[in-house]
Amino acid sequence: MADLQTYSHDAGWKNTVLRGLLYLVLILFAAYYLFPLIVMVSTSLKSLDEIREGSLISLPRVVTFDAWNYAWNEACVGVECTGIKIYFWNSVKMAIPAVLISTFLGAINGYALTKWRFKGANIVFALLLFGCFIPFQVVLLPMSQVLGKLGLASSTPGLVMVHVVYGLCFTTLFFRNYYVSIPDELVKAATIDGAGFFTIFWRIILPISTPIIVVSVIWQFTQIWNDFLFGASFASGENAPMTVALNNIVNTTTGVKQYNVDMAAALLTGLPTLLVYVLAGKYFVRGLTAGSVKG
Amino acid sequence: MASLTLDKVRKAFGPVEVLKEINLAIEDGEFLVLVGPSGCGKSTLLNLIAGLESSTDGEIRIGDRVINDVHPKDRNIAMVFQSYALYPNMTVRKNITFGLEIRGVSAQERDKAVADVAKLLQIEALLDRKPSQLSGGQRQRVAMGRALVRDPDIFLFDEPLSNLDAKLRVDMRTEIKKLHQRLGSTIVYVTHDQIEAMTLASRIAVMKDGILQQFDTPQNIYERPNNMFVAGFIGSPSMNFVNATLIDNNGQLAVSIEREGNPITLPLFEAPESYKAYAGKKVVFGIRPEALTHKRTGSDEPGSQYVNFDSKVEVIEPTGADTMTVIEIAGKEIVARVRPDRAPTPGESMTFSADMSQISLFDPDTELRI
Repeated sequence: MADLQTYSHDAGWKNTVLRGLLYLVLILFAAYYLFPLIVMVSTSLKSLDEIREGSLISLPRVVTFDAWNYAWNEACVGVECTGIKIYFWNSVKMAIPAVLISTFLGAINGYALTKWRFKGANIVFALLLFGCFIPFQVVLLPMSQVLGKLGLASSTPGLVMVHVVYGLCFTTLFFRNYYVSIPDELVKAATIDGAGFFTIFWRIILPISTPIIVVSVIWQFTQIWNDFLFGASFASGENAPMTVALNNIVNTTTGVKQYNVDMAAALLTGLPTLLVYVLAGKYFVRGLTAGSVKG
Repeated sequence: MASLTLDKVRKAFGPVEVLKEINLAIEDGEFLVLVGPSGCGKSTLLNLIAGLESSTDGEIRIGDRVINDVHPKDRNIAMVFQSYALYPNMTVRKNITFGLEIRGVSAQERDKAVADVAKLLQIEALLDRKPSQLSGGQRQRVAMGRALVRDPDIFLFDEPLSNLDAKLRVDMRTEIKKLHQRLGSTIVYVTHDQIEAMTLASRIAVMKDGILQQFDTPQNIYERPNNMFVAGFIGSPSMNFVNATLIDNNGQLAVSIEREGNPITLPLFEAPESYKAYAGKKVVFGIRPEALTHKRTGSDEPGSQYVNFDSKVEVIEPTGADTMTVIEIAGKEIVARVRPDRAPTPGESMTFSADMSQISLFDPDTELRI
């Protein structure tokens, strides 16, 4: 009995030390990732004078939203000084249709590939999967030719199409893997009940796909909103998405470097994806593991 | 309600033939059970009837209508699945009426139909729940309700009880039987459980490797199995098989079983004509455990259907109602069904009575019934 007590006392002491170490490491990592964000937020709230005088990490003495206002309404992108807001709306006009269309097509693809298996379904799926591994840069030239021929060059609809085509591989993969775990008998029962391909899709399959729809929307929104390469290549001038406009603001070589405006513009650009994660993040994790849970 | 006819139905997946010339015909109101080990093609056959797969060859008729090229929804059939396949996003009520809704039945008629079915199956209290809020037995009922509400020509059941626990399975079995008796509907039922087949069917189709082994009433299949596979598959514990010789014993045919020291000779009481051709030849002697018991009264009288022999007892397995007694004859373990109060102790020697009116003889090469 005495031995046991000594042992458990030892173990308790060891546990506390290990736990302390663990927290220390975790706090260090958290700080490592949080620090840039803190610097960005605090810089964006300072006036330009304060930035010149103070140090990088000092908190603002006077909090001012002037930089945010300037970035949104007045910042110069190239020669146009209209602020970043029109480009924000460009991005919205690009991302929302592209996310919705690619998610919808991915759902139909996944449904057809798993529940209406046709000859060569596996080959089609393998080829689609292959699309996930093609680097963006490879398709730039052929894509610009296609867009030119379709009359969609340098336009938002053109960008939407590029993102839909590129996202299709991922969304199909998501939905296909989710639908594999749904019993085929569900579709058979509905067939005997008299429902056809689309009725089954709308009335039975889609209503039970919420978790994977959330995964697909978050993934696609993040990819499309954050994309720079396609935006820079296929949309120019006033049609450019926000990421391209941000780059143009920050890289302007004339005049004084307005760090506070740069930071505010960068935060504005990053905000929508952050918002999507905050609102739907728990569904994201749930959706990724949903396949393992019986319906 | 309608009759069902399968005429030379074949199904092949590429070069693999899973169903070979199946001929079956049942009358209106019959309860057909397709039974066999897994992979025998029974579920494929059901899918062909449902129209979920198409046959390679042959004709399927419901009533007088050839339905080979008719879409499942137009065959007027309803199916209950092993996993129940309830639509998880819909309430029980919606699940039951979905088929009616698709077919354009008015909301009023749907409400009435669902009320009738719910009453019949006693699921009125569950109508507004989702399938995830139901127990296994309740899901099973809802799945049956979904089939019943359509009032189809033929009901198809695909192993509907195999996901339930043992007690519930027996209850639901009785309930399905009651339902059939009350509604008089035509049913095709797939199972791998021979007890389910025996208890439910008006006729059983035993299948193996895509071949129909026997198609008959449960009692005929039990008493006069076509071949050794059917004999061994139906019945629990299964039929005993012993290698033997058919001999002529003073003008009467008898089964002779080799045994070290003293062979057993079992005279055949009223041997059928077909046995004569096998006189002097090797046969497989088949006897069910219940035909092999402790010594019966009157078994010593001449001309009795019971024949006695002695054997040492190896193992006993009490089941309560009977005690399964294992003896060894010609290197084979043989199970006899003995009344508990007559049960021996292992190692003891005991006299057994074989009921020779209930035996089967099989050809050792073709395994067919003689």
